[in-house]
Amino acid sequence: MPRGFSDFVMNFHFDPLLLAIATPLAVAVAIMLGLPKRHSIRLAYVGFGVPALIALWCWANFPADAGVKYAFFNRYSTGLDGLGITLALGLNGISMPLFVLAGLVGLAAGLYAIQSTAERLKIYLMLLLIMQAGLMGVFASVDVFFFYFFHELALIPTFIMVGIWGGRDRNYAAMKMTIYLTVGAMLSLIGLIAIYVKSGASGQTFDLIMLREALAADPIGVTTQKHIFGLLMFGFGILVSLWPFHTWAPLGYGAAPSSAAMLHAGVLKKFGLYGLIQIALPLLPEGAKHWAHLLALLALGNVLVVGLITIAQRDLKQMLGYSSVMHMGYAFLGIASFSVLGVGGVVLLMVAHGLSVALLFLLATSVQQRAQTLDMTQMGGLASKTPVLAAFFAAATLASIGLPGFANFWGELTIFVALWHYSAWMTVAAVAGVVISAVYGLRSVASVFFGPPTAALEEVTAAHPVTDLSWREKIPALILLTALLVVGFWPKSISTPLDSTLGASFRMLDAPRLSAGR
Amino acid sequence: MTPVQQALLILLLPLASAAFIALFLRRAGGLASAISVAACAGLAALSLALVFGGERNFPASWEWLRLGGFSLSLGFKFDDLAALMLAIVAVVGLCVHVFSLGYMHDDGAKARYFGGLSVFMFSMLGIVFADNLFMMFIFWELVGFSSYLLINHYCEKQSAADAAKKAFIVNRVGDFGFLLGIVMCYWLNGTVNLTELAAHHVYTTWVPLLLFCGAVGKSAQLPLHVWLPDAMEGPTPVSALIHAATMVAAGIYMLCRIEPLMTPQALTVIMWTGTATALYAALCAITQRDIKKVLAYSTLSQLGYMVAAFGLGSLLSEQGEHRMLVAAGVGAAMFHLTTHAFFKALMFLGSGSVIYGCHHEQDIFKMGGLKSKMPLTFAAFTIGVLAIIGMPYIAAGFFSKDAILHLALEKNTAVFAILAFTAVLTSFYMVRLWILVFLGTPRSDEASHAHEGGLTMKLPLILLAVLSVLGGYTALYGHTFDGVWSLIPHAEGATILVISLGVMIAGGGTALMLYKPAGSDALEQKAPGLFGVLVALKESFDAVYNYYVAKIQQRFAILLNFLEQVALAGLIIRGFSGLVGLFGIGARALHVGSLHAYVYWFLIGVVVLWAYAAGVF
Repeated sequence: MPRGFSDFVMNFHFDPLLLAIATPLAVAVAIMLGLPKRHSIRLAYVGFGVPALIALWCWANFPADAGVKYAFFNRYSTGLDGLGITLALGLNGISMPLFVLAGLVGLAAGLYAIQSTAERLKIYLMLLLIMQAGLMGVFASVDVFFFYFFHELALIPTFIMVGIWGGRDRNYAAMKMTIYLTVGAMLSLIGLIAIYVKSGASGQTFDLIMLREALAADPIGVTTQKHIFGLLMFGFGILVSLWPFHTWAPLGYGAAPSSAAMLHAGVLKKFGLYGLIQIALPLLPEGAKHWAHLLALLALGNVLVVGLITIAQRDLKQMLGYSSVMHMGYAFLGIASFSVLGVGGVVLLMVAHGLSVALLFLLATSVQQRAQTLDMTQMGGLASKTPVLAAFFAAATLASIGLPGFANFWGELTIFVALWHYSAWMTVAAVAGVVISAVYGLRSVASVFFGPPTAALEEVTAAHPVTDLSWREKIPALILLTALLVVGFWPKSISTPLDSTLGASFRMLDAPRLSAGR
Repeated sequence: MTPVQQALLILLLPLASAAFIALFLRRAGGLASAISVAACAGLAALSLALVFGGERNFPASWEWLRLGGFSLSLGFKFDDLAALMLAIVAVVGLCVHVFSLGYMHDDGAKARYFGGLSVFMFSMLGIVFADNLFMMFIFWELVGFSSYLLINHYCEKQSAADAAKKAFIVNRVGDFGFLLGIVMCYWLNGTVNLTELAAHHVYTTWVPLLLFCGAVGKSAQLPLHVWLPDAMEGPTPVSALIHAATMVAAGIYMLCRIEPLMTPQALTVIMWTGTATALYAALCAITQRDIKKVLAYSTLSQLGYMVAAFGLGSLLSEQGEHRMLVAAGVGAAMFHLTTHAFFKALMFLGSGSVIYGCHHEQDIFKMGGLKSKMPLTFAAFTIGVLAIIGMPYIAAGFFSKDAILHLALEKNTAVFAILAFTAVLTSFYMVRLWILVFLGTPRSDEASHAHEGGLTMKLPLILLAVLSVLGGYTALYGHTFDGVWSLIPHAEGATILVISLGVMIAGGGTALMLYKPAGSDALEQKAPGLFGVLVALKESFDAVYNYYVAKIQQRFAILLNFLEQVALAGLIIRGFSGLVGLFGIGARALHVGSLHAYVYWFLIGVVVLWAYAAGVF
């Protein structure tokens, strides 16, 4: 039952998800109200730490057999109940891993920002905290309206951060990112509203649980499904940098300040994939099947074309941006395979990629501070001066190219297995991407860290003596690396709840189809 | 302790050692090396106890991931084949660990080195124990990673960094096929469990051929052999362990694991790949000047031998009334893998001893006279040479090489001829190496000041020398490995013995006559044309690949990047923004300031909306 505000105050009980969203938001408000810098930073630790701890707590206490049910579920009235909008928070097997991802990457990005030398640090932290609240909200929302609302809450600070704290080309990058992401968001909004409009039978609602039940009983007509899925696919696709709508990403990430890039590439970008998996696939299965082939073909563009383009990059952050675009191709391929295995693989990959790309952006900034450049041809031999940084960077790169022992491997492997069942030749093309990513990944590690130092680097290091990673940089990096290893060595920690939820929701999809077919 | 717990402990000891070193001992090289060696000694003792304890095929499997109908598990398949491989990895691993204590004593990054060795032991043992193809693939990638890490040990050297990168990427190319083969196998058979596959599987040539791609990468067969000679940039003990005795042999082990899946067509491809590699690498070895490169090409050639042996396939065995197919290829390949592991590790460690003694001089034309300076190394290396050229009854290589030649003679005469010729070449380049390094007088300052290493470097040499002599007498192992040894084909009569003696004498004798301990290559002087052809042959593959990488792949990437920047980002996207601008101009034109016009627009809009609501479109 929806509960009113007074109700909420009267029967207060611990709602971890609400707390995870409210804490960073409250800290951001406090900073906005003019808290002194010293206290702002102290409070920022709380703002980033609480969501991460809650996320880990939710992970540890998540029921193994949740099925389509939501754990930690609470519903709050918004005064718009008549329109079918309530603030419903909860986690299922799909959203829980991503909630954890948001918590951990948020903490790492926050810690890295706090130690950074950014000008106007207070405002920077405030924007990051708002973004963090939005991210936690996106994955905790069971209501489509708030799912979208929290995405916008996180997206807007991104533009501001790129525009103000960005590096080279920041104005153009911020403009391009804004245009692309707004168009993507608008298209998906139209699609989401269309679902809302068409959910009709028992009163319109944005509530995902009710939508699911209503549409399972009375599915949207096939033609309409095709239209809506198309909107969502391209809308969300732009947000996730589906080829050829990806050009905002490398540019944006190349210019974005490190923490913003970590949060956007690591977490916020997953919004589109999450929307496709959590909303579009279960509600519009026929639409998904109609578009699957085109989606898979475009995704191969991500893997092969963008993969090769990545090889040609000389700028470290641009390279990371392109490689992140490339890996999104695997995620789309998993979705196109339309199976528990493939979609489960996508979620695994989303978590893994989020952690590894955030780690890489963090380390790239640390490299940039030491080498005073991002041009990989101007670097070399940094490993002899900064062995720990080199080890972290190599580990993160190996994770991102799918070495077993890191989480990414499980995502890629399960997607490949699932994809073969969908199309063998596409699997061949997709697995070829694994070679491409090894080429650019190892090449970048080698050109930054190994071999003798270049003359340019010698000059820079003579002027600014280079020190290895400090603990303040190491701790956020360790958080991300540990998470990658934990999931890498123990994939069940994520796959068990995922299997339970996806299995149940795909069974719901299969049931009417089977009865109709026979 | 149950066998399962014992096996788990064997697998996890080196992992624990590696983790501990990585976390706490980065600056404590001495302690790190002690822990790594202790872990290896522990796992070697446990392994030998497990192997000779006789427990086999104990059930052990844990589900590691489940999504929908797909389940991936990690488990142990411990039969005689795995037991044999485990014994080899444990013994050679321990020898190399101990040898490294001396060889890497003064190295600045000792902790990283020993941590890397521990990671390698963990990954390699995972391959040995694997009961299914996915598990094998996981550890397959991990040995690739540890190989990358250890080749890259001297990472401030450009050549080492390049070699490590090359090894990883070339292996990835092989793994591309391997992974596709596993996935295809999974969908065709519904399982990748080795035992279940052996019992029941769909007959197809695609799966074994794709899986073979993995072996082509890992065991450095043509055309993916290019990484192995470069991998000699790593420290010499690493070359002994990873790039001679164990990891590169994992490809052959994997083939033996999937032997039931083979089809005649697949076997033919495998046989010819192995044969071609054996011959090609032996030809390349003749012109090398670097002691480790000679050994590297010799390893390639011997791996080719094993792959060819596997590809030769089964023999029809007649015992009285019963006629049965015996997987003789598996027996011969694994037998040669065993003896090769011992004598090649011996020769690599011997060369490590030489390099260490000569203060990191690796050019054999700058050595000479080490016979008297390093008598133990000389004795050990000589045993290794005798083993690889197949000295009858004295050294292990004779038995396993004969088994392969016998099998080839039975199955395919052309392959037999090529392998026999390869054996001539093997004797030739090995005796050449032996003369140039050990005989005569020192030809450089480094060589004249050569000295024997410490005890930690001597003991492994002695142990491996003993194994290189005795390792060929299968009776000495008792019944421990009967599951493999019973498959070895045995020659009857003296034909093979005569042939192999003749081959050895022809190759070794020519080398003895041609080469004198001198500072220049006698073959280059006497037959410059032939020498040039051989050098060109060696360089051809690298030239082609370099051309591909630099001129095709890179240019294509740059072209795509250009198109991306110009066409996509520039023309199309800016074109769109131009279009939007035009639309804006158009829209402005509509705002003419006349009330009538606005009313018309409004009405049109109402009609369109009404039409939409009514379902007109």
